Amino acid sequence: MYVYLYDNFLSNKKFDAIIKSMEVRLTDYGIAGKILRLNNFIDVKPLIDDEIKRGATTIVIVGNDKTFGNVLSRSATCKVTFGFLPVGPGNTISDVLGIPINLESCDVLSRRLRERLDVGWVNNRYFVSQLHVLPSKIEVEYDEKFRVKSKNELEIVVCNLQPFFWKTDKKDRNQVQVNPKDGKLEAFLRPAKKKGWFGKYVYEQASVFPFEEMIIRSDKAFEIEADGKKTKEKKIKIKLAPSRIDMIVGRERKF
Amino acid sequence: MIFQKPSSDIALEKNIEKEPINSSQSSVDDSVDTVVGPSVNVEGDFSSAGNIIIKGSVSGSVNTSKHLLAEEGSKIMANIQAGSATISGMVKGSVKVKDTLIITSTAKILGDIRVKTLQVDAGAVIQGKIIMSMPSELTEKSTSSRSSFKKREKKI
Repeated sequence: MYVYLYDNFLSNKKFDAIIKSMEVRLTDYGIAGKILRLNNFIDVKPLIDDEIKRGATTIVIVGNDKTFGNVLSRSATCKVTFGFLPVGPGNTISDVLGIPINLESCDVLSRRLRERLDVGWVNNRYFVSQLHVLPSKIEVEYDEKFRVKSKNELEIVVCNLQPFFWKTDKKDRNQVQVNPKDGKLEAFLRPAKKKGWFGKYVYEQASVFPFEEMIIRSDKAFEIEADGKKTKEKKIKIKLAPSRIDMIVGRERKF
Repeated sequence: MIFQKPSSDIALEKNIEKEPINSSQSSVDDSVDTVVGPSVNVEGDFSSAGNIIIKGSVSGSVNTSKHLLAEEGSKIMANIQAGSATISGMVKGSVKVKDTLIITSTAKILGDIRVKTLQVDAGAVIQGKIIMSMPSELTEKSTSSRSSFKKREKKI
């Protein structure tokens, strides 16, 4: 049985036509199912657990990168197959998974080509796409083997699914594609220095470290953003949870 | 015809098409290189399964089974072990390379080098012993000739 989780923004009138045509396509394939609408006050984990008890075999996330991150960061432990129907703007993960945006994504879902994906784990919760540590005076320890320091403040982005790049200039098209099945997370570090009257950051060349476990420490609390959720921490431990999510992917996937 | 259903063949393709996709993609090496930026200091046992590019400073030890590239301006105060390497910066410590080591004109190496194939550009500074391991064919020939000599001795 399929259960579809619709993001709140899809209730906007401009998405009515595309949602209707997708529902028709899913019915034609015989994979239509229960529709649940998410909002800011719904905890996804118990909701999915309940649906699994009622016989759900596939949970399909309908929305964009934010929806995908919000749902999977809370429900990565659920033993069920996940699908994704990307709709509207703000979709970059779908490209990595090989899922076309809007109507064509239903074809990918019907094919049920499945892959197990890695997930990141930070201070007792999962993150799926990206973790961002804003520039601050921090020290980083990798796999309990080596430490990375800089005289200046460090900005860190840990990637699992979402492709990431720091542009050196406007023409720079360099992009590092990360693999969510390689058994490693990728950390991108770049030292940042405040300059000028308004304290604008000037960035230096970035470093890249693939890792399995990383500890970030600081004397002062620093801000982190994992799958869109912001918190302040003094010490964080980032780990890899390998092959945690069973996901329906497309043939054109980038891993 | 306009309201024709999308063909059910798409849904039935999954078993047929899964295998060739996996086999073709497993051969693609998409591992990300480890990069140490110019203003970053790394301390400890620095090891990676993939290629390493060093632009900053590293102290402790550096270990990779693949290629190590130490760019101009890099400072490595560490013992190095690598599959192959190109050094353009400064190295203080021993260098062990399995295959080919290229030392460019801007490189300074203060330590012993153990390598199979060595290429040194004019202007490079090396202070230490250089030990070049014999190619496998030569060592095999020499061992086989020794054994045949021993057999002859026994016959006599």
